[in-house]
Parts: sequence; C-alpha cells; structure tokens
Amino acid sequence: MLARAIEETGLPTTTIVLIKEHAERVKPPRALFAPFPFGFALGNPDDPPFQHNVLAAALDLFQQASGPVLAVFPEDGEAPAQILQASGARKDVSNASGDPADELTGVRGYYERWNENHDGRTLVGLSGIPQRRFRGLVRYMQEFDPAAPTDYANKPGGVTIPRFLRLASDDLKSFYMEARMCQRPDQQNNDLQRWFWTETAMGTMLSDLAGRLAASEEQPYQQAATGIAR
Amino acid sequence: MPRLEDLTEVARQGHLNFPAFEHDDAPFVALNKPLSEVKLALVTTAGLHVAGDMPFTNGDQTYRVIPSDTPARDIVQSHTSIGFDRTAFMRDVNISLPIDRLRELVEHGTVGSMSQNFYSFMGANRSPKVIEEETGPEVARLLMTAGVDAVFLTPS
Repeated sequence: MLARAIEETGLPTTTIVLIKEHAERVKPPRALFAPFPFGFALGNPDDPPFQHNVLAAALDLFQQASGPVLAVFPEDGEAPAQILQASGARKDVSNASGDPADELTGVRGYYERWNENHDGRTLVGLSGIPQRRFRGLVRYMQEFDPAAPTDYANKPGGVTIPRFLRLASDDLKSFYMEARMCQRPDQQNNDLQRWFWTETAMGTMLSDLAGRLAASEEQPYQQAATGIAR
Repeated sequence: MPRLEDLTEVARQGHLNFPAFEHDDAPFVALNKPLSEVKLALVTTAGLHVAGDMPFTNGDQTYRVIPSDTPARDIVQSHTSIGFDRTAFMRDVNISLPIDRLRELVEHGTVGSMSQNFYSFMGANRSPKVIEEETGPEVARLLMTAGVDAVFLTPS
C-alpha cells in the first residue's frame, strides 16, 4: 500500500484507515483507524474541531519510536456506515417521471446559489460541458443507445463516448446534489441519495441509461454503466 | 518513547490496546524532530485533482499534483468508484484533503510548515503494483527533494 511504499523510500508517514482488518493485514507504518465511511476520512464535514481531533490523533503517532502502530480513534462521526445505492433506494418506489431537462432547469437556481455560497466551488466540470448547456446533454443521454451510438457534438477531444457518458453522469449528479444541499440543508448522506434516485426524473434517466449500457456487449459501455448507477 | 500520560487519550488507548506485533519487513522511518519543526505533506487516495487537470480513469495508477496554495474551489474529485458518498466532499474539501486544518496548525505553530505540493492518487485499485513500485516511490522522492519531513495520508 501507498504508506509503506512512501516509508520504504525514506519518509515517515501516518495514515487514516477506514477498514481495521485491512490495516491489521497490510500494516502501514503508523495508522489511525477511524470509524467513518468512505468519503468521510476526517469525520464530519464543516466541523473543524472534530477534524482537528482526528488530525491530531494521526499526527500523534509520529511520536512512536517503532512500528507498525495501529491506534483507534474513539469517536463516531455523523455519517451512516453504508451509502445507499440506486438499486437499494429504488426497490420499493415507482420511477419518478417527468422531463429531466425541465427538472434540471428547475433546480438550477439552487445550484447557482450553492455555487455562490461556496466561493464558486463545485464538483461539476468533469465532462467539459458548461452547466448552462446541460439541457442538450440530458437530451443526448436520454436517447443514447449503445447499439447505435452517436457522438455528442460538444464532447471534448480525446474522450471516448463511454468515458464521456460517465463523466457527464458525474456532473449531473454533482449538479443535483449541490442544488439539493442548498435547498434542503437539513438533508445529508443517504437522505440525499434516496431523494436523487427515487424522487427525481434525472435519477430515473440515469438508471435507465445505465441499464441500456449494461446490456451492451462492449466492455467500455458495461464499465460506464457500473460507474453511473449500481 | 514518551510517557503514556503525556500522550493524548487517543494515543494512550492506542498503545494500551494495540496487540504488539512487529515484523522485520515493516518499513519504519522515525521522525526525529518535533512536529513544530516539521514540513508536512498531504497525500490522498481520494482521486482528487485541480479543476481542469486530467480526471482519473478506471484502474488509474498515476498521481495528480495539487499545489498547497490551490483554493478549495479548484480542488475536485474524479475517483471512479461510486461506492461512497461524495456529498461530504462537495460541502467541505477538508473531509478528504484537510488543507485548511493544516494551514491552521501551521499558523498556530503546531506544525512547522506545509509542503509546496500535495499529491493525490486514486485508491481501491485491485492490483496497485504500479503505485507501490513506481508512482508511490516517485512521489516520495519528489517530496524528499522538496525538504518534506513527513506525510499525512488520507483515503477516499
């Protein structure tokens, strides 16, 4: 693992690990096991004191004279252990219908306000398509059929179609999640996942697209499918 | 070794509870200076990069450079796994790359300084041979050449 590779080259390391058994097997030189899910390495977002406690506990391990060392961070974070996936969320609920392109236009105001409130910070941008042009992108994805693939006119050069579909899906998810967090600051984690996959036409569109891609015989489309909805 | 009562409660419990196994092949380099004199680097496997840089692809074992003065708004994530919640990172870059927290520690004098560059890999590789044998050691050498004393690693 990376910590060992860096230490072997000559630099002391301390690592946050989220799976205790993994750390016990691999034995990083200094590891702080923290009981948080993936995506929450420092525990709680927007919680500097909590993050400082985690960071201090990890840095404390540099006082060890020898290793390997595995310490345990004693406090739970706020996030639930397991992220809700599309397949888990959609089990009992009928598909949210409606036009995803219109729906996107409807949430854009929240997205842009989130953007402003975060000094322009957004995870949208991987696809290279500006968010103001997402309506056309959504249409393309709604109609996309891996058996008769068409290219997207504004797709950046050097990106394959399956890869572009993946990156575009990431952008649409980020757009929606950031909008929702602005609209409903009380919602977190699995509330957000459940909302997206069961209450939005965009969630339905991406699930359907993933289904069509998964049914393709071409591995790049299958791979894109597992990166869009599971 | 410091006295147990001098350590934070977390470290103390860690020592008390830690089953004492050591293996000859475990690499370990002692940090021989106090944290207040240490130049610290952040390295993550969360699949982060500067906005506009090349996103990570499936099975990617390359790294991305993130200058340590990059504003939070320009640090994005392209980890290919969808098995974890991204919304925490959307809210707060520090949840995976604690740049503001490290800055505060440096301002406070707890940590000496931060490295000029941070680095991100993408974790969850099924066979990370290239990371372990090539790109990981390469990043370590770059950090050592830049005078970095120690590394804090975060997962996705």
